[in-house]
Amino acid sequence: MSTFWSHASAVARKDLRAELRTGEVLFVIVPFGAVALLLTPLAVGVDTPLLERIGPGMYWMVVLLFGVLVALRQSSLDGRPQRDMQALLGVDPAARFTGQAAATGLLLLVFALVLGPVAAALYDPSPSGWGWLAALIPLVVTGLALLGTLAGAITGGLGARNSLVPLLVVPLAVPLLLAATQSLEGLRRGEGILGWLLLLVAMDLGLAVIGVLSARPLQETSR
Amino acid sequence: MTNTRWIEVAAVGTLLTALGAALFVPPEQTQGDLARMLFVHVPSIWLAYVAFVVTLIGSVAYLRTRKRRWDHLAGASAEVGVLFTGAAIAMGMIWAKPTWSVWWTWDARLVLTAVMFFVYLGYLALRRAIIDPEVRARRAAIFGILGIVQIPLIHFSVVWWRTLHQPASIVRPDLDLQMDSPFVAAMWMAVVAFTVVYIALVVRRMDLARLEADLDEWLATEQTELAESGITAPRLEEVHDHG
Repeated sequence: MSTFWSHASAVARKDLRAELRTGEVLFVIVPFGAVALLLTPLAVGVDTPLLERIGPGMYWMVVLLFGVLVALRQSSLDGRPQRDMQALLGVDPAARFTGQAAATGLLLLVFALVLGPVAAALYDPSPSGWGWLAALIPLVVTGLALLGTLAGAITGGLGARNSLVPLLVVPLAVPLLLAATQSLEGLRRGEGILGWLLLLVAMDLGLAVIGVLSARPLQETSR
Repeated sequence: MTNTRWIEVAAVGTLLTALGAALFVPPEQTQGDLARMLFVHVPSIWLAYVAFVVTLIGSVAYLRTRKRRWDHLAGASAEVGVLFTGAAIAMGMIWAKPTWSVWWTWDARLVLTAVMFFVYLGYLALRRAIIDPEVRARRAAIFGILGIVQIPLIHFSVVWWRTLHQPASIVRPDLDLQMDSPFVAAMWMAVVAFTVVYIALVVRRMDLARLEADLDEWLATEQTELAESGITAPRLEEVHDHG
């Protein structure tokens, strides 16, 4: 394995180990997301056909909004001393970005997979095209993880970081939300969703390229 | 400071000419005088797109050259772009109330334009949150490149979704104008006027950014000098005075 990938893998393992110790995503953010799914029917009214219809959209909204918390939490693991130490150890900034995004993506995938059955149980959406979720969920969480990691790096060390990251990530994540919701809507109507999947792939690739290329200039500003 | 007076004079002149043309065209057949609002709404949104593309160009150029003027251009253009986006949304809402009977509707283009507004508000918030000019320029440049993702999505939203917002009337792939020639002429005059206003605002804002940078540099030098004088050893004559 090349140095780049071994560094990226080491960074990802470090971040996942930190999550394993604290359990913040699984025991704090996942229940928080489930509570949001539970409370929505109280806000919009207990209208079963309406809830069936909006269920998938609500699920993606919660994945997006609470997913930002996962990304924010992950990107705050490395303070300045940790970043300086990694730079001194010769960790390529692009490898660090890749490792952090991979760890965030994995945690977001767990987050989305745990919340999926919760949403299905609460909203009872129509089961058409559920197999496509196997492609949709990884593509959406990859985009969100890349966006969250990038925003985390851009706001690293800033006092207003916790309020800035959601403002930077959520509007930019709109194409992910649209592709996810429109895909499920298309499946419900029996239409093809290849165009939306291609949009997600293009967005993920674009974010990965920007993330890798901007890793070095961003590391230089964090010292 | 750049001598920008002639651009400002040109901006006022072209604006007055465009205003005259907008008032001169006859009322539109179905919408009446309300259609005149489009002479503000359409150029505003076009210039907003231009402004954000210029922000992208300034951001890329800054990352390549590290010259501060590109960062000033990106920041100034984003500020003016947010202003134009806000104007386009406000004008659209005022036009929508008598036409669609609502101020706002959940239409793809409307929502995505509002999202673009928030993307660049985030960009401006990011710039304000970072004090160090070098760090600010570099981080804002990367976000300035990211932010452009929305523009093609907004532009094609009326094609991809069945929306309430009408498709393009002037710049169309089939080159078939959907307006009468007096309207088209007045619209182009408004576009030219808004473009000159955009240039004047960006040039003036860049001047301000340069002055702010000079002021920050001067303050930093002053503070360093003050700190140095604070640690200077007491002079001998002062000791004699007290003695």
